[in-house]
Amino acid sequence: MTTQIKLRDCAKTFTDGTRALAPFDLTIEGGETIVLLGPSGCGKTTILRMIAGLEFPDKGGVITFDGDDVTHQSIEKRRVGMVFQSYALFPNMTVAQNVAYGLKVHGVSREESDARVKAMLEMMHIEMLADRAIDQLSGGQRQRVALARAIAVQPRVLLLDEPLTALDAKLRVRLRTEINALLRKLGITAVYVTHDQEEAMALGDRIVVMQKGEIAQIGTPREIYCKPQNPFVADFVGAANLLDGQMRDGRLHIGNHVFDAVDAFDPRHGAIIDQGPVELFFRADGLSTCDAAHAHFTGRVEAVSYLGERLRLTVSGIGMHAVMIDTHADDIITAGADVHCQINPDRLTVFPARGDSTTAVSQAR
Amino acid sequence: MSWAHNIKEGRSRPSFPFGFSRQATPGVGSPAILAMLMMPGIIIVAAFFLIPLALVAMRVADGPDGWATYFVILTNARYFASLVQTLVMSAGVTLTALVLCAVCGLFLVRNRFAGRNVLTALLTLPLSFPGTVVGFMVIMLAGRQGVIGSISDAIFGEKFVFAYEISGLFIGYLYFSIPRVILAVMASAEKLDPQLEEAARSLGAPTWRVVKDVILPGLMPGLISSGAICFATAMGAFGTAFTLATDIDVLPMVIYTEFTRNANVAVAAALSIALGAMTWAVLFAVRCFVGSSADVAPRGGA
Repeated sequence: MTTQIKLRDCAKTFTDGTRALAPFDLTIEGGETIVLLGPSGCGKTTILRMIAGLEFPDKGGVITFDGDDVTHQSIEKRRVGMVFQSYALFPNMTVAQNVAYGLKVHGVSREESDARVKAMLEMMHIEMLADRAIDQLSGGQRQRVALARAIAVQPRVLLLDEPLTALDAKLRVRLRTEINALLRKLGITAVYVTHDQEEAMALGDRIVVMQKGEIAQIGTPREIYCKPQNPFVADFVGAANLLDGQMRDGRLHIGNHVFDAVDAFDPRHGAIIDQGPVELFFRADGLSTCDAAHAHFTGRVEAVSYLGERLRLTVSGIGMHAVMIDTHADDIITAGADVHCQINPDRLTVFPARGDSTTAVSQAR
Repeated sequence: MSWAHNIKEGRSRPSFPFGFSRQATPGVGSPAILAMLMMPGIIIVAAFFLIPLALVAMRVADGPDGWATYFVILTNARYFASLVQTLVMSAGVTLTALVLCAVCGLFLVRNRFAGRNVLTALLTLPLSFPGTVVGFMVIMLAGRQGVIGSISDAIFGEKFVFAYEISGLFIGYLYFSIPRVILAVMASAEKLDPQLEEAARSLGAPTWRVVKDVILPGLMPGLISSGAICFATAMGAFGTAFTLATDIDVLPMVIYTEFTRNANVAVAAALSIALGAMTWAVLFAVRCFVGSSADVAPRGGA
C-alpha cells in the first residue's frame, strides 16, 4: 500500500547553468516521513519538486516509485499530493469543491466523492466550513483544506513544501501536531520541506540536512541532534557555540586545560582525530557556571535572557565569539558581571578546524 | 476543539474605501463633505450627459411618427438589420479579440525571449491610432490596390477585395481592440499564482482542465472588463467605418447618414438612444451573468 521512493544519481542544473543539486541518492521507505531541512537556496525544494514531477533530474538521474520508473512521468500521472506554503486553494471554488476537485478529475462518482469529501473534512475538523468561500478562511483553516484536498485522492506520496511557514507561532505548533498525527494515522509516505529545525525534529522519521545543493547528513532526529557529522549540521541544528582547540596525541587542549577521553571521531573521514587544530561545537549545556576554584574559563556576561525554566547568558571573553550558557532560573546574574564556568567534555562535538581538515586527520583507523 | 479558536481568525471581507461608514474619520469621510466633493462630477454628468441625452430622446417626438419612431426603427427592415448587424459584429470582434489576446497575453507573460518587450510595445501601438488611420490601413491591406489583392491576383488571377464591406470593418476593429484586451490579460496573467496550476496538476488535471478550472477563472475579471470596453468601442466606433465605405450599415453610419444627408433628425435620435440602450443592456447582462463568478476570483491575501 505504501510507496517506496528511490532517487538515484539525481542532479539538477538549471537552464542558466547554475547547479542546484549535486548528484545524490536517496531512498524513502514506504510509510516513512522524510524531512528535507536546510537554509533557503540549499536545494531542498528542488528535491521535492523532482519527486512531484515539477522538475526533472539531469540526464542519468532515475526516480522510482515502488520500482516503477517515473523519471519522465509528468506530475498529473504520478499521483502525488501537494501542500504549499501559499495554500494554493482554488479561489473560485468552495471548500468542499476544492477537496472534491481531484476526485472529480479522476472521474469518481458523485456519491462516492461526496462521502469522501465529508470524511476528509471531518478528519481535518473543518466539516462546518464545507460551503465557505476560500477568502473567508483563516490561514490555519486554509492549510487544513489544502491537506484534505491533497489526501482525498489517496496519493502515493504526500509532499509538503513549508506548509506552516505562513502561520503564526502558536498555530504552527498546533497544526504541526495535527499533521504528525495525520501522517502516523494514514501511514503514507511523506516528504516535508522546512527550514525550521524544531519542525523537522518533531515530524521526521529521518531528516535530510541540506547544504548548498548537497546532502550534509541523513539521520534520525536523535542522530542529527546528538551526532552531527559536520560543522554545518552542528551549527544548523542548534549547537551554535564554538570554541577552538588543539588535539595533541589524542588529548584535547583548550587554552591551558587538557581533557582526556573526548569523542573525537570524525565521521566524514572515518577516523579519530588525534593531532591538529579542532573546532568544538556545543549547545548551551556544554558549559556550566561554577565557583572560581573549579573554573576552566572566566568570561563577562553580555546579556541575560529569562527563558522561564532557565536563564540563558551570553558570555564574551571565552572564545572568538560570544557563547551561550544556561544556568538555573533562580540565579541572580546581571549583565556586566564576571562568570566562572566549566566545560563538560561529553557534550562537545569535535571537528577538524575548517580549511585544514585533511592534514589534521590521522588515517590510523 | 481546535477549530473553535480558528473561527475568530477568520478575516472579514474588506469594506469599500469610499463607503459612508460610521467609522470613517471626520473630514474626507463625512457624508456632507463627500457630497460636496462629488458636486463637480455631478454637474459635469448633468451638463454633458443627462441633459443632452434627454434632449436627444425628446427630439424623437418631433418627427413625423412622433414617439412611434422608436417602433419604426424596429419594424423598418433597414434600421433593424443595421441594429442586428452592429450587435453581431461587435460581439464577434469582442469574442475574437478575447480569444486571441488570452492566448497571446498568457504567452507573453509566461515566456522570456529576445525582443519580447519590443513585441509587446508593437502590439499596443494601435492605441494611438484614430479610427480613420485604422481604416486607411485596412484599405492598404485588403482594398482594391491592397496587398492581399495583389498577391491573390498573382496566384489565382483574381483580386480578393474585402476592405469595403463588413469583414473589412471587422478586421479594422479587431486590430483596434487587441491592445486594450491584451494589456488587461497580461495584467491578470501576471497575478496568476503558478502554484494553483501545480496543485491542479498534482491532483491529476490534464492541461485543458487546468485552463478551464484555474487559468480562465483567474483571467476572468480582466477579460470581462476589457471585453466590455472592446464591445462598447466597437458598437460606437465611426471613423473606421466612415473611411472604408458608405455602404456598411453599422449603426453609427446609419445615424450619420440619417442626420446629415436625410435630415431625418427624429430617426437619428431614436437610433442613438437605441444604440446606447443596447450597449448598456449587453454590458449589464454580462455583468449579471459572469459577475458573480468574477467576484470570487480576486483571491484574499494569504
